[in-house]
Amino acid sequence: MQHTDILIIDDEIKFADMLAKRIELRGRSNAVCYDGKSALEWVKSHAHGITLILLDLRLPDLYGTEVLVGIKEINPAIPVIILTGHGTEKDRLECERLGAYRFIHKPPKIDELMSIFEHIRERSEC
Amino acid sequence: MLKIFQDFLKSLWPEFYRHRTNVHLNSFYTFTNYRYLWFISISVLAATALAPICIATLIYYQLIETSVDSDLNHRTKQLTVAAKSAVTFFMEERLNALTFTVNENGYEQLTDNTRLAEILKNLKLGFGGVTDLSVLDADGNQVAYAGPFNLEGKNYKNQSWFEQSLKQINYISEVFTGYRDVPHIIITVRSVKPDGSSFILRATLDTERLMQTLSSYKTGDYADIFLVNHEGKLQTPSIHYGAIFTPTNLIFPAGSDESEVIEIFLNGKSIISGHSSISRDLTSTPFTLMVLKEKAGMLKFWQDMSFKFNWIMGASVVVILIVITFASTFMVNKLYRADKAKAETMMQMEQSQQLASIGQLAAGVAHEINNPLAVINQTAGYMKDLFSFKDQERDDDEIVEYIDSILDAVDRCGTITRQLLGFVRQFDVKIKKVNLQKLISQVLSFHKKEAEYRRIHVTVSIPDSFPELETDSSKFQQVLVNLINNAFQAVEEGNCLDIIASQLSPNTIELVIHDTGCGIPEENLKKIHEPFFSTKKNGSGTGLGLSITYGLVKKLGGRISVQSTEGVGTSFTIHLPVKINEGRNA
Repeated sequence: MQHTDILIIDDEIKFADMLAKRIELRGRSNAVCYDGKSALEWVKSHAHGITLILLDLRLPDLYGTEVLVGIKEINPAIPVIILTGHGTEKDRLECERLGAYRFIHKPPKIDELMSIFEHIRERSEC
Repeated sequence: MLKIFQDFLKSLWPEFYRHRTNVHLNSFYTFTNYRYLWFISISVLAATALAPICIATLIYYQLIETSVDSDLNHRTKQLTVAAKSAVTFFMEERLNALTFTVNENGYEQLTDNTRLAEILKNLKLGFGGVTDLSVLDADGNQVAYAGPFNLEGKNYKNQSWFEQSLKQINYISEVFTGYRDVPHIIITVRSVKPDGSSFILRATLDTERLMQTLSSYKTGDYADIFLVNHEGKLQTPSIHYGAIFTPTNLIFPAGSDESEVIEIFLNGKSIISGHSSISRDLTSTPFTLMVLKEKAGMLKFWQDMSFKFNWIMGASVVVILIVITFASTFMVNKLYRADKAKAETMMQMEQSQQLASIGQLAAGVAHEINNPLAVINQTAGYMKDLFSFKDQERDDDEIVEYIDSILDAVDRCGTITRQLLGFVRQFDVKIKKVNLQKLISQVLSFHKKEAEYRRIHVTVSIPDSFPELETDSSKFQQVLVNLINNAFQAVEEGNCLDIIASQLSPNTIELVIHDTGCGIPEENLKKIHEPFFSTKKNGSGTGLGLSITYGLVKKLGGRISVQSTEGVGTSFTIHLPVKINEGRNA
């Protein structure tokens, strides 16, 4: 099975696509899901081939936290960065409790994302 | 100390009298007409305080008048009885003395002038008031005489008193002047000579002595005591009726021994009049004793007292009125200040709630704007990447596409900010035409994403024939924002929010905002429009939203009701006039 470096789950299509392109430019493979259910399907089928997941909190079908719980059920080892436009402090605590790796407000800085990714990759390789 | 005094003076100054404030603040006052309130307060307090005083005073005056009247009558009667006794005694004493003289001396001795002069001297010494004595035979001839006038040999046969004297054992005449031209009274005693024929002992009484006796009963300047005969002719001088022998209308039937007191009017004066016939056991006299007392004079004491009493009453009433006025001013001032503070607080509350509403809107706008901003950020970032990673051409189609994407996202942001600006600006506008459909979709546009994410089914049902409302748009807008915000907070994922408008009558519309959310527990339903009632935890709600909404709907001339079942949903129903009555809700 092909390995995917970063999975983007966001319903804002243009944002997700653009982020995907930029990651691609930086030489990392990626995939995009626009809603929670299809994202969970995708994670299920690639359970051990994902390095990092970027997850929006507001999705049209499921809450981001529900998706987070779903991902952790499939493979708790996958780090999940919450990427939110308007998450509150309460949301942050809730997500951290559910096992989120980071909580980042939109718009994210690509270099920051990439350095986190590199850090995770290095750690997993050790 | 000085400050306390100044504060006290200030609290008595009718600050509310010039109560003027802006129209908006006025609508928060509980009372509008403080002058009227003040006036009513003073009137009610004054009526309550003064009515018993007035009634008591009236009763007092009536009691005084009644008791003074009865006292006057009583005193007049007493005086009449006393004076009558004195006059009766005066007459009787002299008559008895004369009877004794006749019985003791007999005809022979009495006709002896020397003896008669001696008897006269004794009578004068013993009783006084006897001017002369004479003995008359049955034919009216004066047989003997003792006294200062030379009346010997005179014949009295034709005098009326002589005829009367022969008929009765003793006789008392009216006052008359006779031959002497001096007012006098004649008393006679009839007796029998040794030969069996009648003779008469006559005494002339000086009226001076009688008048002195009467005068001694006069008390004060207002009493008038005198005698009249049965024809009403004065027998002694009177203050009111004049000199002796003046005819009067004081005619009383003879023979009544009782004293009687009546009230009469004489020369415009109210007079208490007592009268009684002077009569004796054996014979009646021609006299009626009159006692006249001027009521006004007798009342002088009471009038003086009433005058003082009136002064005290008047002063009390003035003091009471001043105290009442100050007390009312004090109370109404307190009320006014409390009401003013309340109105100002309410206005601030409404303003802060309006700010809170706008704040909520701003949060929605921030959410809406964040997504396109993220797109712009990524697209611009990607374009930068293209130049740095791929060294791409300027006129590449892909670049154009990305620029379009950025422009599109910027447009989205622009639309949202314009909507917000347009919406917020309406808060300034007063009464104007409002299209409900447009207003509702504006409010809902700020909840579009939220509704989408939470899968809340929003339906708006407004009939085509629905009229344009003419109302205070800013207030109405705030009502809608509050209720729709509330509904969004109450609903869970997948619930429904229905907004249904209908026209009930030409000038009434109904707007129902119904959600299938958590509902309101029955115990809270009564409290939801109370200020500061909130079920939101951690102080996230001010508890003012619904309270202000209730107030706003009321100001728009409408009413609002709520039906809710816990776990089933809540409906807010607003009834509003199509055209607001400005006068009422200014």
